[in-house]
Parts: sequence; C-alpha cells; structure tokens
Amino acid sequence: MPTESAPAIRVRDLEKVFRVFRRRVGLGGAIRDLVHRRYEPLRAVAGVSFEVGEGEMVGLIGPNGAGKSTTLKMLTGILVPSGGEIESAGFVPHRQRVDYVRHIGAVFGQRTQLWWDLAVIESFHLLGKIYGVDEKTLAERIEQLDGILAIGELLHTPVRKLSLGQRMRCDLAASLLHMPRVLFLDEPTIGLDIVAKDGIRSFLRDINREFNTTAIITTHDLRDIEELCERILIIDHGSLLFDGPLDAIKSAHAAETHLVLDLLSPPTGAIDAIGGEGVHWEQQGPLRYRATFDRRAIRPPDLARAALAELDVADLAIPEPSIERIIGRIYRESGARRGGTDG
Amino acid sequence: MRRTLALYTGFFAQSLKARMAYKADFFGEIVASVLATAAGIVFVLMLFHRVPDLLGWQRAEVFLIYGLSLIPFGLFNVISVNLYEFADRYIIEGRFDRLLLRPMPTLAQLLMEKSRLTAIGEVIVGIVVAAWASVDLGLAWGVADFAWTAVLVVSGAVIYTAVFTILSCLSFFFEDRIGVGAPVWNLIMFGRFPVPIFGPWIGAVLSWVVPFAFVSFYPATHFLDKTGYRTLCYLTPVVAIGIAVVALAFWRIGVRSYRSTGS
Repeated sequence: MPTESAPAIRVRDLEKVFRVFRRRVGLGGAIRDLVHRRYEPLRAVAGVSFEVGEGEMVGLIGPNGAGKSTTLKMLTGILVPSGGEIESAGFVPHRQRVDYVRHIGAVFGQRTQLWWDLAVIESFHLLGKIYGVDEKTLAERIEQLDGILAIGELLHTPVRKLSLGQRMRCDLAASLLHMPRVLFLDEPTIGLDIVAKDGIRSFLRDINREFNTTAIITTHDLRDIEELCERILIIDHGSLLFDGPLDAIKSAHAAETHLVLDLLSPPTGAIDAIGGEGVHWEQQGPLRYRATFDRRAIRPPDLARAALAELDVADLAIPEPSIERIIGRIYRESGARRGGTDG
Repeated sequence: MRRTLALYTGFFAQSLKARMAYKADFFGEIVASVLATAAGIVFVLMLFHRVPDLLGWQRAEVFLIYGLSLIPFGLFNVISVNLYEFADRYIIEGRFDRLLLRPMPTLAQLLMEKSRLTAIGEVIVGIVVAAWASVDLGLAWGVADFAWTAVLVVSGAVIYTAVFTILSCLSFFFEDRIGVGAPVWNLIMFGRFPVPIFGPWIGAVLSWVVPFAFVSFYPATHFLDKTGYRTLCYLTPVVAIGIAVVALAFWRIGVRSYRSTGS
C-alpha cells in the first residue's frame, strides 16, 4: 500500500521470546531448582508487522500481558528483538541506540524519567546537557511547554514532592525538551483524575498539530484513544489482531452499551418491556439490573427516562466498556469480515 | 570528546548536589568513613607490635602498600554505589530502562548517577598513611614517582570498578540476586598486604583472577627495595586496561540480554 510520505516507523515480523524460569514447588523443589533450572520459552511478541506514517498518532491497545509494553520497549531500543525488523526515525533502535534515542521521547507512566531528589528545573537542565540542547533553546522550550502544561510553579520543587498528575506533566515536558520526532507513551494518563487527563490529552493534540510529532500510545483508557488517535492497533497474545481506523472501536463501543440500575424495591411489572426491542435486561443482584443496548439505535437518555418512569431507581450508571470486551467484539467482527471477503 | 566530558562533569555535579541536600549526614559520613578506615590501620599497627616483620616485609613497607591501596579504593567508592544496588534498583525494579532511553553509554550513566563523595575520607587516610610510611622509609620523591603514583591510583580505581562491573553483569542473566559480591569484596583486604605472605594459591588468584594485587602491591614495589617484581610492577596499567576491556565486553553482552520488567 503506497503511503504519501515515508513511514516514521516500520515494523516487520517482530518477535520477542523470553526464557521463563519455572520454579518447582516446595522446599525440595527449591533445592532441585538450585541444581537444575527449568526454562520455558514465552513468546511475548509473536510476529507483529505494521507501519506508522509521519505525524500519525496510533493507539496500541490490548489486555494486560498482551505484548504491548514489550513491543514498545523494542521500539524504544530498551529490549533487543528476538526476530524481525524495526526501523524507526531512520534508525534500527537496538543497534544504533545512542544516536536513535536523541530523536525519540518516551514516557512510561508508571516510572519517572526525572531525578527523584533534584528540582524539576535541574532535571531539565541535565537532560538539556544530555541531549545537547543549548541553554537558550532550552529556556525557550521550557517556557513554551509551561504555556501548555502549566508547570511553571513546579519547576523548583523536587520531583519526589510532586503529585502523580504534576509529575506526569513534568515527565511529558521532559520527554519533549529535545523536540523528538517520535513519541512513545505508555499509559500516559494512568492514575490521573479527569481534569489532569483532559489536560494531557489536549496537550498531546497540540504537540501533534504543531510539530507533526509521530506518536504511539498504549493505554487502558479508551477515552485516550478516542480523543487522540485516528487509528488503532490491537494486540493480544503477542499478535496483531486488528490494524484499522478508530471507527471500528467506536461501533464496538456503541453496540454494547450498558445501563446499570440499582433499585429501591423489586420491579412490579416485567422489566424486559422497558425500552422495547433491542434492549436486553439481565438481573445482576437482588436489586441490580443491567440493560445492554446499541446506543446508535437507542439513545441512552431515552432508555434512562423509560426506566425511571417504570421503576423505583436508587442509582443509575453507564459504565465504560472494558478493553477486553471491545477486543473480543472487534475480533469477532474482523474475523467475520475477513471470512466474508476471502472466502 | 570535550562536550562529552563537560556533560559528564555536569551530570556528576548534579548528582553530588542532590546528595549535598542532606548536609548533616554528609559530614557525619565523612567522619564515619575516616574512622572505619583508621580501624584497619590500627589493626595493622597492633600486628606489628607483636611481630617484627611479615615474612620479610617491614612495617613501613606494608603501610606504604596499605596506604597507597586506600587512595584508588576511596575514588572507586565515590562512584561505585550504584554497582551494589544494580540488581535491586536497576534490574529487578526495572530502572535500567531509563538509562537505555538516554543518548549516553549506560555504564557511565550508572556510575555517575549516584555518588558517595564521603568516601573521600578513605582517600585522605590513604594519603596520610602512605606519606608517613614513605618518610619512615626515607624515600626521596621525584617527578617520576609522583607520575607513577598517579598511574597507580587511576589503574587501581579502574581495576576495582571493572571487577565489580563484571559481577554486576551477572544480574542481567540471573533473575535472583546471587551473593558473589561479598566474597570478592573480602578479597580487597588481601590486596592491601604484600601478596606473597598468603602463599602461592591466593597470590595467583589475586594476580590473575581478581587482580587486586595490581591495585597497590605490585605497583608499590616501585618504591621498595625488593627484587623479582619489576615486570609485574610496570604491567599495572596494562592489567587495568585489560580488565576494563573485559568488563566492557561483559557489559555489552549483559545489556543485549536485558529483559526489563513486566510492565
């Protein structure tokens, strides 16, 4: 498939196999382990291929242990692939690590890139030196980043005293000081409150628009994907299940919307009638009921109104769908589609 | 090259600054390190109170070797903190990722990211002991002698760092912590004495397996009136370069098999 410009990232048949040490059970087992260790191969990434165009923002999603982080770590040069090829920003990450990492930025949400005991500004200056950004340019960039991330008042605070949201903003700023061409974000909004999440998402959109930065984002939060990415890659059991536009996830999202109701007293009539055709009711507890419906056919407020009129409702919620659920759905749909065109 | 050096000093200065944030600790630790080192000296003094010499090695000769070994040892201790914490902090907790994301050699980052400037106390004690021993021996120091001491100090620090780097490399391959650090650490003490007093086997180990004898014993014979050590004495920088090359090779292999953590 011809793309308009050369891809920023090209991955072919990427593989990572770990040797996993299998412990035996009990004390006797522990002693036998000392003498002879049993290892089993674990294919964390099993032949993944994709391309990401310059300036594209792609969401990489999948359940825990699917191989997302391992893929990201190979893309950033942290892990050496067991097989396949990676080319990113014109480099082979694990072979040209020192030159390559000058052109990328990485934020691993769980872990800070900054020095724990240093004030944020000192960390920034140190990173400026490491990446060869001169003082004047660095000061300009910090000011620019302060404009969008509002980190000005945090600059003189030691990193260890920052809240998670503050730290994440500083980490994002740190990853952009050297104006990377490609950005890798692993769970950039994990553990943040709604306001902080919104701030980070709009910041990432700005960066992408202004500097045409390419980005790969892994996340468990579907909102991140919906607001940032036009394309998603779904990975499970180390393989790429789906590579396509966000619309697919939106329709999967919509097709299985839930409305959860907690009642004050048991329903008097037949609950199945509420909402009419296309609403499937399930009892989940003595006084808890859940409706499943397609929000493209039935508007959630209409269903809620109908339910409130008929039932003695204590509480209602429209929970976010889980990533596992959506993956399952996309898997079934893409499998069906593929079957339809090929066969 | 000059930029790289400037960068390293900046890096180092910042990590020292982070350390200096706790000033009271800082001076307390210098005093503690001086006292701990002095305790070893007292032990040797008491030993010579009982015996006139150690298999032909006089008190002043032993003290010169001992004192000269403390200078590279102190310098090594300034940068070595992270080597001990490497398995726990960097491998098991996955902090090594961060080093790989920066455009600098990983080992250099590891050694500079955290430092223990208080180990300077050991350097000071070493200088005092070596100076006192050389006065006792009636040595007249020329320019060449100072130059050789500089070679000795640098080579010694390189040897210590290389040995413990090689040990740290094991953490790349084994998920569990393995306790080879402590026995090797104890060998450092042997290297502070004239190695022949321990017999041929330990002497061979200290020369060719864990070459702590090249930290101060062999190079210190430059100042002493002893025969039979000339070649080994001047081989010191070669041994230092050799073991540094081996350590870097191990390190490269280790980094390639780094597995990171689960998430």
